[in-house]
Amino acid sequence: MNATGHNATGHIEPEDLALFAMQLLTQDEAASIAAHVEQCAECRQALAETHGDLAAYAHSVDLHSPPAEVRERLMKQVAREKKAVPIDRAPAQERAKEHEPEMVPLASYGRGLGRGAYLPEEEAPRRRSAGRVLPWLGWAAAAGLAFAAGNLYQQRDALRSIIATQSSTMNQALPDVASARDLMSTLTDPAAKRVVLNTTPQAKPAPQGHATYVASKGSLIFVANNLEPLAPAKTYELWLSPASGQAPIPAGTFHPDAGGNASVILPPLPKGVEAKAFGVTIEAEGGATKPTLPIILVGA
Amino acid sequence: MYRETGLVNPTPPSSGDDAAPLGQVRRGDEQAMAALFDRYSKVVYSVALRALRDPAAAEDVLQEVFMQVWRNPGGFEATRGSLGGWLAVVSRNRSIDSLRRKRPTEQVDNLALASNYNLADEAERNTMMEKARGVIRQLPLDQRKTLEMAFFDGLTHSEIAEMTGDPLGTVKTRIRSALLSLRKALTA
Repeated sequence: MNATGHNATGHIEPEDLALFAMQLLTQDEAASIAAHVEQCAECRQALAETHGDLAAYAHSVDLHSPPAEVRERLMKQVAREKKAVPIDRAPAQERAKEHEPEMVPLASYGRGLGRGAYLPEEEAPRRRSAGRVLPWLGWAAAAGLAFAAGNLYQQRDALRSIIATQSSTMNQALPDVASARDLMSTLTDPAAKRVVLNTTPQAKPAPQGHATYVASKGSLIFVANNLEPLAPAKTYELWLSPASGQAPIPAGTFHPDAGGNASVILPPLPKGVEAKAFGVTIEAEGGATKPTLPIILVGA
Repeated sequence: MYRETGLVNPTPPSSGDDAAPLGQVRRGDEQAMAALFDRYSKVVYSVALRALRDPAAAEDVLQEVFMQVWRNPGGFEATRGSLGGWLAVVSRNRSIDSLRRKRPTEQVDNLALASNYNLADEAERNTMMEKARGVIRQLPLDQRKTLEMAFFDGLTHSEIAEMTGDPLGTVKTRIRSALLSLRKALTA
């Protein structure tokens, strides 16, 4: 591709079109091709065909069924995000349009979604019986009002109860949300200190730890692998060695799984402590206040 | 971006069987949404799983792609060819975005797609899948690997060239040749 993304004939090279379709070009290259495609029917057609090729290629994948819970989850979310169908495109109205000859929508009378033609027919019987029902109308209206008031009262109570439940759920979820936000910002913070801890000299498979730490937030994520199994009543303990030279701060105890993997996610640490190094020791179950030598893993 | 193309369907509309459920989805019919999910979830999930190699992440993409259809069924239009093909490519793009940890790209919603297959029809879809797998198996190994790295792993041609030691031009040609072979075999 030349600088503008065009070949000698003024069109996009098919090779570049394929890369563009897969969104594998740089922003500038993609923008240049997009601008051309917008104006060029021939390249637009070629791009659509390339997308067709990619769709066919995607269908060559080995098929796996998603777990049934995903469908359930999707349908729940779909139900939660019920659509507000615009009044001029309401389902009943659209269905009425589709089946116009046989459908003068009786069901829609009550909802007032008919098209106006029903009004005279509906009013006629009302006029005929008006004399007989008039004396009862006052009582009926009063009873209706009482019933409606009772209903409203019940609905208000039900709504109050729903709001209370939801507030309680939200309050319970807030710490989780805050914790997740911390986790994400620590993982993605470009200013995070990322340290690889190794034994010296390296053996294979060597125990290894990766610490990601944001001093300003006191957020630490530590992942270790190839760890040796622990003796009974022992635990690994992670330590943060402050740059100020103060005593190491315990940053969580952990036990490796059968594969020798372990992690410490967001242990409670003071904020604003710059780290000089991280270390891992073996301590008695429950952890220690001072590291016990030897230091199994260390990294600075 | 390409909303007004009107050009992308050289063959008769291949989304005929999807038009009705899509119209119902536009009107808020949840059952129609479930029907579309039942029809295409396997492909969407499998593509995401192949790209992400992580069932939980693939489930997220699956949900996200179908919620996109629910929220904006107009994002796919009949002029854009097959809904099944569109969903497969959107699933791949969302997965690659997720691999690169970036926000969904704008092009995702706007891709136009020409297809010769009616993927709404299960038998036709299965036939196309078998044919596509056969073609891919027959491709020269270097073409197959290069296309796989670009499409399913989201590696750029520069990254592929760096990893394989092949010249950039060769990488691009291999991708193009693999796609052309697929097209020829499927239109034959």
